[in-house]
Amino acid sequence: MSAALIDVKNLRRVFDVSKPWLNRVLEGGHLEFLKAVDGVSFDIKRGETLALVGESGSGKTTVARMVVGLLPPTSGEVIIDGVSMTDPRQAQARRRLRRRIQMIFQDPYASLNPRFRVDAIVAEPIRAFELIQGERDIKARVGELLSLVGLHPDDGLKFPHEFSGGQRQRIAIARALASEAEFIVCDEPTSALDVSVQAQILNLMRDLQDKFGLTYLFISHNLAVVRHMASRIGVMYLGRIVEITEGRRLFDNPRMPYTKMLLGAVPDLAMSGRQRIPVKGEIPNPINPPPGCAFNPRCPLAFELCRRKTPELIDGVACHSVNNPAAAIPA
Amino acid sequence: MTQPVLSVRNLEVEFATRRATLRAINGVSFDIAKGEVLGVVGESGAGKSVTGLAVIGLIDPPGRISGGQIELSGTRIDQLPPEEIRRVRGKRIGMIFQDPLTSLNPLYRIGDQIIETIRTHTSLSESAARQRAIDLLAEVGIPAPEKRIDGYPHEFSGGMRQRVVIALAICAEPELIIADEPTTALDVSVQAQIIALIKRLGRDHGTAVMLVTHDMGVIAETCDRVAVMYSGRIAEIGPVQDVVRNPLHPYAKGLMGAIPTLAGEDKRLVQIPGSMPRLSAIPPGCPFNPRCALAFDRCRVERPEPVRHGAQSVACHLFEPAKETAA
Repeated sequence: MSAALIDVKNLRRVFDVSKPWLNRVLEGGHLEFLKAVDGVSFDIKRGETLALVGESGSGKTTVARMVVGLLPPTSGEVIIDGVSMTDPRQAQARRRLRRRIQMIFQDPYASLNPRFRVDAIVAEPIRAFELIQGERDIKARVGELLSLVGLHPDDGLKFPHEFSGGQRQRIAIARALASEAEFIVCDEPTSALDVSVQAQILNLMRDLQDKFGLTYLFISHNLAVVRHMASRIGVMYLGRIVEITEGRRLFDNPRMPYTKMLLGAVPDLAMSGRQRIPVKGEIPNPINPPPGCAFNPRCPLAFELCRRKTPELIDGVACHSVNNPAAAIPA
Repeated sequence: MTQPVLSVRNLEVEFATRRATLRAINGVSFDIAKGEVLGVVGESGAGKSVTGLAVIGLIDPPGRISGGQIELSGTRIDQLPPEEIRRVRGKRIGMIFQDPLTSLNPLYRIGDQIIETIRTHTSLSESAARQRAIDLLAEVGIPAPEKRIDGYPHEFSGGMRQRVVIALAICAEPELIIADEPTTALDVSVQAQIIALIKRLGRDHGTAVMLVTHDMGVIAETCDRVAVMYSGRIAEIGPVQDVVRNPLHPYAKGLMGAIPTLAGEDKRLVQIPGSMPRLSAIPPGCPFNPRCALAFDRCRVERPEPVRHGAQSVACHLFEPAKETAA
C-alpha cells in the first residue's frame, strides 16, 4: 500500500452571509455565518478514487475547491504529497505542486473559454508551466492529448461551441491531463450530460486512471455513478462527513441512518419492489442548523443525546446510535 | 376497450428556421389510458419536451404542429383556436414544469396564484376557493397549509415549491397531467417524495399522467408504460418492466446498459458510440443507424415503422413481422 497522497485535516470553511453593515444597523440584524464545511478530514491514497456524495448544500463542492486551493479554508489543513496548501512557508514547494493538481468542472459550457480555439485551451497548462518548448512540439503534444480523450487532433482548430457537452467534457479532461497531473478533482463531471454520454465519459475517466495511475477526488450527487467510480466513498450532510467507507460496503451495509435513507431514495432501475425507508423532511437551513447531530430532526433513531451532542466520526461513521448502541433506543 | 384519455396519432412538429425547416417530432403515436402513467424518456433533443408542449398547445412560432392529430377524451384539441385551447389548458390538462421557481410568479402569494387558477376554471366563490386551495396544499403534503398559503414562492424550498406547482396543476381536477422533468432540479431525497406524490395522485384521482424525464430510474419507479424517444420518433414503447428488463430496440438496449446501477456486478458501462444527430442532419432511414452495431443496408435507406412485438412496440427493421417467430 502506498502512503496517502492527499491528507485533509479538520477542514472548515465559514461564509459570512450577513446583511451589509448599514442594514444591520438600521434593521437591527445580527452577523450571520454559514458553516459550509465543518471539520472534514479524509485522506486519499495514490491511484485511488475517493468520492464525496451528498445533496445540495452539503458542502461537497466547497471541499473540492479548498482541496485544489481555489478557496482558502477558514481553518484546517490540506497536505498534498507532504506539502501544505495553506502554510505560507511552503509557497515555493506549492508552486511546483500546482502542476500535478487539476480540476474538471461540472458545466462544460462554462469551463472552456469560448474565444480560445481548442488547441489553445489544451496547450494553456503546457505553456503556463513551460513543460514543452517549441510550437511544433506543443502542437504534437496537444494532438496526442486530443486523441487520448477520443477526439481527433484536427479538432484542435475548432472553437468550444462546435462541440457537444460530452465532447467539451473530453476537452476539459485533455486540458487536465496536459500538465501531466497526478491528482484530478472532478466536481460533478457528468451531471450535465445525457446518460449515454455520461457512460462514455465515466469509462474514459476509468481508462485514464488505469493508464496513468491517476488519483481522483470525485464529487457527485448521483450514488449510482459514485458506486461505479469510487474505491472509497464519503457521505456528506450539512458540512460534515457522516459516513466514510470502502465503496462496496457502503451499498451492502450502510450504517448511518442518513446513508440508509439516501440509498433508499434512489430510484431503482431493477424494480425489485424493495421496501424503502420513507424519506422525511428536507435538509435544514445551514445558517441555523439543528443542535447536536444535524440529521436528528429527520432521523428515525434519534434520541436525547443526538439533540445535544454532535457525534464524532468513529470507525467511519458519525452517529450516536451506531457508535453507542447501549444508549440508543431500539429501532 | 375504453377510450384513452390522450390519443396522439402521427404527430409532427416543425420549426421553420432561416436555413431549413427542422422536424423535431416525426410521426409520434401513443395513447394514455385513465389512471395510467406513461413515461417518455430520451436524451436531450430527442423531442420529449416538445411532445409534451404540443399536447397542451404551447408550441410557439416558428414552431408548429404540421401533421397528425391529438385527441383528449375523444375530442380533437390540436386545431383549436387559442381562446379555446386556453380553456382546455389548466382545466382539462395540468402541467408541471421542471423548474418550480420559474413556474410560479415571484410577486404573488402562492395562495393567490392557486385561488386565481381555481376561480378561472370553476365557479367557486372566493372563500370556497381559498378553502379548496388549503385542502390542495394539504393534499400535496405542505405542512401547516393555512399559514403557508400566504407565503411567497421564495419562502419555500425547491421541493415545497414543486409541491405548490403540483397543487396548481391538479386544482381543476384535470383528466391529464403533463409533468416535464418534475424532479430533475431536486435532490434525491426530495425527488423520492415528489415521485410518490405524483404516483398517489394518479391513483387516487384516476388522472392520466405523461411523465417526461431523462432519468430511467424515475421511470422505472413511477410509470406503467414507457416510450423511448430518439431523434423525434418513438423507438420503443411498452410496459415498463418489459422495456427496462428486456429492451428490444438497439438504442433502448444501449441506454439501459449505459445507466450505472446500485446493484449488480461492477462492469464497464455499455457505451453507445457517437451522439444523437442534430435536427438539421438526421440521417436517412433509421435515425439511429450510424450508431447502431446491428445496422444493415435496409436501415440506411428505409425508415422502420413501429411493429408490435409481444406487449412492446418497436421501430426497428430487426423486428419485422416476418421475423417475429424467429426473434
